[in-house]
Amino acid sequence: MRPILLQGHERPLTQIKYTKDGDILFSTAKDQIICAWFSANGERLGTYHGHQGALWTVDIDPTTTLLASGAADNTVRLWDVRTGKCVKVLELNTAVKRVEFSEDGTQLLAVTEKRMGFLGTIVVFDIKIDVDAEQSSEPAMTITCDESKATVAGWSYLSKYIIAGHEDGSVSQYDGKSGELLDNYPAHEDGMPVTDLQWSPDRTYFITSSKDKTAKVISARNLEVLKTYVTDTPLNTATITPKKDFVILGGGQAAIDVTTTSSRQGKFEARFYHRIFEDEIGRVKGHFGPLNTIAVDPQGRGYASGGEDGYVRVHHFDKGYFDFMYEVEKEQARG
Amino acid sequence: QDRIEEDKEKGAIVEERRRTLSEWLAWRANTEEDLREERREMGLDTEINGVDDKAEDADGEGEQIE
Repeated sequence: MRPILLQGHERPLTQIKYTKDGDILFSTAKDQIICAWFSANGERLGTYHGHQGALWTVDIDPTTTLLASGAADNTVRLWDVRTGKCVKVLELNTAVKRVEFSEDGTQLLAVTEKRMGFLGTIVVFDIKIDVDAEQSSEPAMTITCDESKATVAGWSYLSKYIIAGHEDGSVSQYDGKSGELLDNYPAHEDGMPVTDLQWSPDRTYFITSSKDKTAKVISARNLEVLKTYVTDTPLNTATITPKKDFVILGGGQAAIDVTTTSSRQGKFEARFYHRIFEDEIGRVKGHFGPLNTIAVDPQGRGYASGGEDGYVRVHHFDKGYFDFMYEVEKEQARG
Repeated sequence: QDRIEEDKEKGAIVEERRRTLSEWLAWRANTEEDLREERREMGLDTEINGVDDKAEDADGEGEQIE
């Protein structure tokens, strides 16, 4: 699984996202630009300029028409994927830490930071998937997180729920239409922030990662924790692999913490766990700093990781990866 | 004697994994059925996007519908 190293960012990576067909990937970093790359060979396709602060997040609608980004400049921007032109600037009160399109692309949520005088919120905008359409500047809905600010959030299947991960380690389920809080569950250790939330292909379940060194697979319908993956390092990211029943986790102790908490080197590896059996099955080394973001090709051909070191590493899965099966899985497959 | 103990242990692990796998597959089947039902009620196609569908890989022509 030889990686392709993508050099284009000068600051730590914050998020990576593939298009639905997996052919292009987008990366954001603290250096204020969005990069687009061909996932097959790592060739840079273009950049999107305009934000005036660190970029925290990016997403692409399911038709690969519009790109959404969120940044420390308190804006969400919508871009024409093809031309790189910014088609809309949505102003918010504070930094935008996460954006995500709904399954059908007609809504976009934005998670805003808590700052003096402002509570953390999840703001929803109605979106027209058309680069020439006039987009609304006014939110269709605002959810205020008065208990603990949201750090990440996303849309479930059929936009039925908005699921959020919080700074205090809990996970919330909101009604996707009314924004009403339906449930809140302490999925992770108290006070240990949820750092990532990514969906299964059908969006009926999701994975969360946390600074508590675990990742969990949780049902969107009732917030039941179905699986727990235990590691030895604070996690920044977790993703669910299509086609194979694995999950990939990333994190690592930042260098500054290493000196104070342990004499050991940081462990900058992507970790593969079996989604069903919860065992660690492999690691991929490479980054010189903690892994901040991992995304998987929706077609299941590979994955990309983005590090505190400013690099994106794209991996294409090899035969061994696809062939790997537990004996009981082989049994099951044989019927 | 040790060999018998080892085999017993292995057997227990395999048995546990069988149970874990069948529980997960049962949960998936229920969840997928619920989702199809909800899509039907909403008048949507009952094909589920990207269901962990191994059959799709066989021909590489798996249909993806939102």
